Amino acid sequence: MGHFIRFLFLSLVALTVQAAELKSTETLAPGQRVDDFSMPSAIGGWGQRLSEQRGKPVMLVWLDRCDQCEEELVRYQLLAESYALDHLVAWFIWAPRKNDRPPKMRLPVLLNDRKWSQSWGFNPRPAIMLINNDGVLDHLMLGDLSAHYDETEKTLAQWMAKQQLQASAENEK
Amino acid sequence: MKKTSMLAGFMLLGVLAGSVQAETADANIAADIVQVKRSVLELNKDLYELEEDLLSPATTRAAFYFSLTYGEFFEPLSIEIMGSGFEAVRHIYTERQVAALRMGAVQPLANINLGPGKHNLRAVIRGVDQLGQNRELVVEQQVEKTDKPLLLEFVVSDLAEQQSARAQLKFW
Repeated sequence: MGHFIRFLFLSLVALTVQAAELKSTETLAPGQRVDDFSMPSAIGGWGQRLSEQRGKPVMLVWLDRCDQCEEELVRYQLLAESYALDHLVAWFIWAPRKNDRPPKMRLPVLLNDRKWSQSWGFNPRPAIMLINNDGVLDHLMLGDLSAHYDETEKTLAQWMAKQQLQASAENEK
Repeated sequence: MKKTSMLAGFMLLGVLAGSVQAETADANIAADIVQVKRSVLELNKDLYELEEDLLSPATTRAAFYFSLTYGEFFEPLSIEIMGSGFEAVRHIYTERQVAALRMGAVQPLANINLGPGKHNLRAVIRGVDQLGQNRELVVEQQVEKTDKPLLLEFVVSDLAEQQSARAQLKFW
């Protein structure tokens, strides 16, 4: 009887966790507005708030486990910096695990910690979000960063061109 | 023929009178609608005040504010306020927010409910000094909540003679 109750309890817990995971993956999809957040810097310096970047294209790189993983991120940093003149804002979002140390990058590395109530987390990771000038998620790319670099580069190029066209059309109005 | 034209005249008059009556009725309805809208707005305001009083009555109402005077020797990056009887209040500052604080903005940090009595407050303001070194300013103080709203402002000000900054609690 005791075993049965234990089994039932564990099954319920597992179901709840699964439901929560499903919910978290369902909470954000392309076409949806991205909720605001503020996160402190993981490597010193200013915190960042998403809503302050409204009117600019934003690229968020949500990192999976990363212990000084600069090498993996350098290509993404260079890619983002190549669009700096087009006002692309790019942030790495790092969640600490155990004794991991954050990557030291030129671009802001934000600390994703549940302690700060103004921030929220995102699963699954790693993930890349492209958020347009209106704060709406246009592209969500999931999976290993190294394996998806080419796809990201291509998508970003097309997306930035579209953002520029839209911006110039709005300026002409 | 004469009877027919008289009948037509009467009918025309009837139609005109009907139209005037309809216009008056429309005007009355419009006035009623305006009155009803006004009443709804007043009721809404009363309900909002009632809700405010119920959710945050003066006896438990407390609020935290933050300000920065000059900010030459200290730039805040975050603030954490902890104490008994309420959930910790945390805020992360961005460059833009600090620029606003430097221009004299007073930031409303949080509205909380605090029971009457004495409470120990501890605020940790993390930031950097003029040399870019990490620094923490800490305020620890006992405050007393009476039946009146408690409004507290954390003020960070420069100490020019010591080339440093300090944080203080100001009671409104």
